Amino acid sequence: MKQDPVLADIDGLTVEVDGQVLVDRVGLRIRPGTVTALVGASGSGKTTTGLALLGEYPAGARVTGEVVVHGRIGFIPQHPASVLNPARRVGALLRDMARQQVRDLPRTRRRAAARQRVAEALADAQLPDAAELLRRYPHQLSGGQQQRVVLAQALLLGARVLVADEPTTGQDALTKRRVVDQLASVARRGIAVLLLSHDLDVVRELADEVVVMRGGRVVEKGPAHKVLENPVHPWTRELLAEPRTVPYAEEGRAGTEVLRVDGLVAHHGAGGSRVPVLRVAGLTLRTGECLAVVGRSGSGKTTLARCLAGLHRDHRGQVLLDGEPLPRSLRDRSREQLAAVQYVFQDARAAFDGHRPVLDQVARTAVRLRGAGREEATAEARRTLADLGLGDDLVRRLPGLLSGGELQRAALARALLARPRVLVCDEITSGLDPVTRRSLLDLLTVLVRQRDGLCVVLITHDLDTAAPATRIAVLDGGEVVEVGDREQILTAPRHPFTVALLRASTRRGSAVRP
Amino acid sequence: MSGLRSWIARRLLLGVAQTVAVVLLVFVLTEALPGDAAVAFAGDQPDPERIAAVREAMGLDRPAHIRLGEWVGGLLHGDFGTSLASGRPVSGFLADGFGPTVLLATVTVLLLVPVGVGLGVLAARREGRFTDRLISSATLGVYAVPEFALGVLLVTVFALRLGWFPPTAVGYGTDLLAHPAALVLPVLVLLARPVCSLSRLVRAGMIDALAAPYTAHAQRYGIPGFRVRYAHALPNALAPATQQLARTVDWLLCGVVVVEALFVIPGLGTVLMNAVADRDIPVVQGLAVVFGLATVVLNLGADLVTHRLAPRSGVAA
Repeated sequence: MKQDPVLADIDGLTVEVDGQVLVDRVGLRIRPGTVTALVGASGSGKTTTGLALLGEYPAGARVTGEVVVHGRIGFIPQHPASVLNPARRVGALLRDMARQQVRDLPRTRRRAAARQRVAEALADAQLPDAAELLRRYPHQLSGGQQQRVVLAQALLLGARVLVADEPTTGQDALTKRRVVDQLASVARRGIAVLLLSHDLDVVRELADEVVVMRGGRVVEKGPAHKVLENPVHPWTRELLAEPRTVPYAEEGRAGTEVLRVDGLVAHHGAGGSRVPVLRVAGLTLRTGECLAVVGRSGSGKTTLARCLAGLHRDHRGQVLLDGEPLPRSLRDRSREQLAAVQYVFQDARAAFDGHRPVLDQVARTAVRLRGAGREEATAEARRTLADLGLGDDLVRRLPGLLSGGELQRAALARALLARPRVLVCDEITSGLDPVTRRSLLDLLTVLVRQRDGLCVVLITHDLDTAAPATRIAVLDGGEVVEVGDREQILTAPRHPFTVALLRASTRRGSAVRP
Repeated sequence: MSGLRSWIARRLLLGVAQTVAVVLLVFVLTEALPGDAAVAFAGDQPDPERIAAVREAMGLDRPAHIRLGEWVGGLLHGDFGTSLASGRPVSGFLADGFGPTVLLATVTVLLLVPVGVGLGVLAARREGRFTDRLISSATLGVYAVPEFALGVLLVTVFALRLGWFPPTAVGYGTDLLAHPAALVLPVLVLLARPVCSLSRLVRAGMIDALAAPYTAHAQRYGIPGFRVRYAHALPNALAPATQQLARTVDWLLCGVVVVEALFVIPGLGTVLMNAVADRDIPVVQGLAVVFGLATVVLNLGADLVTHRLAPRSGVAA
């Protein structure tokens, strides 16, 4: 154990909003140069605790306990773009910050000194070519550059503690790698990092201290190796459980062809700037199988899914259902064709109308796509939702009152009410914590195994999620670089990109080696 | 950047086409009106023979398309034609009316922007509290009062009862700057509604911007409150207000007929009114060209500013 001075000390912190306890008697100590990981499911109070260090609390919060911080604190939010002002150039905030710091200098030297400080911070955040970058707007930067600019702001501030909120959630393996390296280098500079994350791979790699939270309380804390290798609390054990390895679909049960993609070339943009973003020469889906489509962000995974569902019309080539070509646009598809290919979106919250009860919206699918009666549809919706573990009192509520995991199940139920042949799941587990993710994937397994003739297309950037699929297709830069059975892809990848992707996935444990 | 340039060029071409369309429409509509300049000229003695004589003297007996063609030909050489009613060149009318109108518009905009933005930011900072409710209800109330009603009210109280300001600009000619007292009431009337709409738009945008994570981030990193509000939050709140401001300036430059008539200011609005009454088609058309171009240029400018303030939104022609 290092005996460095404590940089930040949280003692008995309790935060309540409207009588609801968000954080309950949390204690935490942060030392320089170490990474303290706050792990737990969504809603466990990680972010509330992290923001408490910054002295920020939810509106109307009642706060008791003590938070003592020595030195300034930097913050990297989950979406770096959210703290970059869309109407100002990247350099604006950096320049204002630097100007605050050089006010003691004589007027003539301030400008140069401020510029010097900004340049140093950018260099420390590994942003070369800074002068050009500062003139750009945030939306003209890549995600990685945005994150580094936000880091540069914290470094310019002279932060001694850095709070990083879910910095890797929803990122592909290669991006994750980069973020991990960056945070490690920050810690090497002697800055204390408070990592809020449910991404256990990252926690394993970075953390010196681990604090496990559940329902606003600390259930276990200690040195990383101790907590991660010998968890005492049952909740920690559940959180740390290995990702599933049992295949989603029964082996060797794949049957007849359902869907075929033939010579597909999809475009984005309009007019002169229309560019091809995806080429799929051929891809077949059979009943009873689960096809995982993996690749980095922007590789064309979602575009492929959208072409199947008729949500992306601008493409050449054909999508055939039972040998019959499907119309490109959803508007031209018949009710049966619509029902046959169902889509579950990444952002379940955005996929529900916030003003109608979940049950009504789920039942509506059966009315619209199968012509079922209202009563009958509601009864079936209630049954399906119950099968997916959503009780009757829960589904009568408005979507806003359900958690992300619950809403994602409701979205699955809604798609199932159409009795689809093909279920397209677009990143349905990204952004969910490991426990919720596992239970959702377990559910998917039950569906694939129970519903005869259903096949699932699982779009994901996460190899652990893709590993139990029947077959895996790897996309890179809009091209299918490799398709094969899970064993072949995971153990004997042929394409260099697949190899790189597997290597970047930090823990190729049992999940990836079947 | 070349994308932006070709966009500006396309917009300007489109603007010229729109102006041409406006001029054609105005010509056709004025032709369609009963009576013409000759009838208006004949006045109280509508003797058909006399009217026919005047018509021939004015060249109104020629087919409409030839008259239009001649006028367009002149316009291409910078000649706006000659007024039918007075025989003076149209450009002289425009130049005379332009001075007072531009003066009124400039003074109004110089006051409008700081007052409108300031009230909007103040209301947003105090959202839901007394100051906000006061500003919001006052602006809504004032917005509901039409210009002529507010004008009559102000004249009655401040000119006729209290005698603080002259009730009209009669006798001051076109040089209004020498008589600032005569400007006070018209400018107040012109300001009233635009201040309300502008401040409400700024308030709405500013509430969002102040609640945005990037604003919290700037505060968190020690930027002083004034600078956070005006340099970091405000640019995000201004995009819709800019469009509204362009419409307001356009409205002001095209001569607010009601206000000019009420205060007897010899601006473009007055010129327009007289020209329509006299069926003085060349003057009406000259005004249509000026107003059309002003609208095109102002909206193009507003779109450019909006693009600068909300760079993510694409530019569409």
